[in-house]
Amino acid sequence: MEQLETFIVECPDVTGAKTTRSLILDTLSDLSLSRVIERLKVYMDPVEPVFIFAALLRLGSPSIKIKDFAKVDMGALGKDEVKIEVEKEMFTIKLLNKLWAKYGKENIEQPDRKVIIVKTDPIKDLDMLRELVVEEPQQEVLDRLIDAIALRIIPEGFRVRKHELSTTHVLFVASEDTLKPEWLAKGQEILESLRREENA
Amino acid sequence: MLEPMMYVGGAYKHSQLIELVEDLGGYILQKNIMQSEVVLLMLVPINDIPMVETKSKELLGKLTRAPLTGSEIATVAPTLAYHHLPHLDCDVAEFLRKQGAKTNMVGLARGVGKRICQLTAFERDLINEHDVAVFILGNYEHCIIEKSKKLYEGIEIPIVVTGAPELKTEDVPNATAYVGSFGRILHHLRHAEELRTLDKLAQVIGKVLDDVRVEIAKDPPSVAPPRIKKEIEENIAEIIDNLHPLPITLQMNGVRVKLPYEEYHEQIENIKFVEGVTMKEVARVLPSKMRNFILIKALPKSETGFSI
Repeated sequence: MEQLETFIVECPDVTGAKTTRSLILDTLSDLSLSRVIERLKVYMDPVEPVFIFAALLRLGSPSIKIKDFAKVDMGALGKDEVKIEVEKEMFTIKLLNKLWAKYGKENIEQPDRKVIIVKTDPIKDLDMLRELVVEEPQQEVLDRLIDAIALRIIPEGFRVRKHELSTTHVLFVASEDTLKPEWLAKGQEILESLRREENA
Repeated sequence: MLEPMMYVGGAYKHSQLIELVEDLGGYILQKNIMQSEVVLLMLVPINDIPMVETKSKELLGKLTRAPLTGSEIATVAPTLAYHHLPHLDCDVAEFLRKQGAKTNMVGLARGVGKRICQLTAFERDLINEHDVAVFILGNYEHCIIEKSKKLYEGIEIPIVVTGAPELKTEDVPNATAYVGSFGRILHHLRHAEELRTLDKLAQVIGKVLDDVRVEIAKDPPSVAPPRIKKEIEENIAEIIDNLHPLPITLQMNGVRVKLPYEEYHEQIENIKFVEGVTMKEVARVLPSKMRNFILIKALPKSETGFSI
């Protein structure tokens, strides 16, 4: 997979386009987002003024639940506890943090490296714990992406904004003045052209 | 006439150079010792420069003219957001500091946008307390020109503007000078090309300050700012324990003293020079907009009728 298969900055101001290009590259590498964006097109006209940022995304794996990397079972007979046997230790730290936040440190025991005991009613909580989301790589990436686009890339004065965000694309139209319908249409058009390129 | 000079050399025997400059009637403004190297910023009487040069050669050091020495520069960013900081703004401020200037960073409250940008009265007064204001603007020619039409309203000091496009100074309204190839850069400036741009900026600001010096020399101040600094250092003991960076900051025609105005202004006003005059006869002691510091502006000779 190539990084950034399309990267176009369109701007009547040639020097402006060049600097904008370098600042987008800097931001994406600062926030390690260059692998997340597949195709990217920016249209900027300082005279109007409008800034359109459209990108197709390539998000990583979906969210990870406890059942994906651990066995969740009833604890010792006659005790109110749930036993989690971790198979991939990679997520243990995040799991412990989540459990501490939810049940308090005094209710979590870790007798062994790979065993975590949660003192709670197993009948009530067992299923819920199996489905507990430990890591959300996609959401984290999207948060970083919003940080990059809204807080670093779009010129600061462009405070009137409209955005679309999904797991496959992101579109920002921003301006200093009220947004005109033709700019929004142009944003959609740019997004469509990126999609066509991808399907070609 | 005193010339701003910078000496870079070994720490060994550098005190000989300090003594020479002081004996010649010059002033040592800053002394930074970094391991075995020393950097001296000083003002040297223009006629005695060859003598100082000979001494610095003898000590195997390097003596250069540092036109930014003894000036206080405001580097102004439209806001203090990620868009401008930490790169570029800090790089510019840091670079000018290395050249001998004292830089203060100012982030405006509502400085963004070409149509909506504003400068508050407080910001305007604060910037006016400096010798030069460097406005660090962005990428687009149209925005820089539109913004320059109104953002600098009320600023009386020279304005240096930076941005991405290569414009002529005449094209940027209200600017004293314009330096291109900057723009909104979100990485640390370290490539050779970028460093050359910074050098150019320092050169342009040096030129602007030289013009200010020429202007001041037409009606020289009654007392030289380094003299004010020296007298305050000798008369007010608290300045030694002051932890602010550069507790007495030199400006082109005055100094900023980082002590509370209410407590110290009378003491400073009554400092007596050996010539028999007091500070308040040769300078105005004013409250500064920066915290509760003191700003001292030397009176011109035309107003007092004498200079010491």
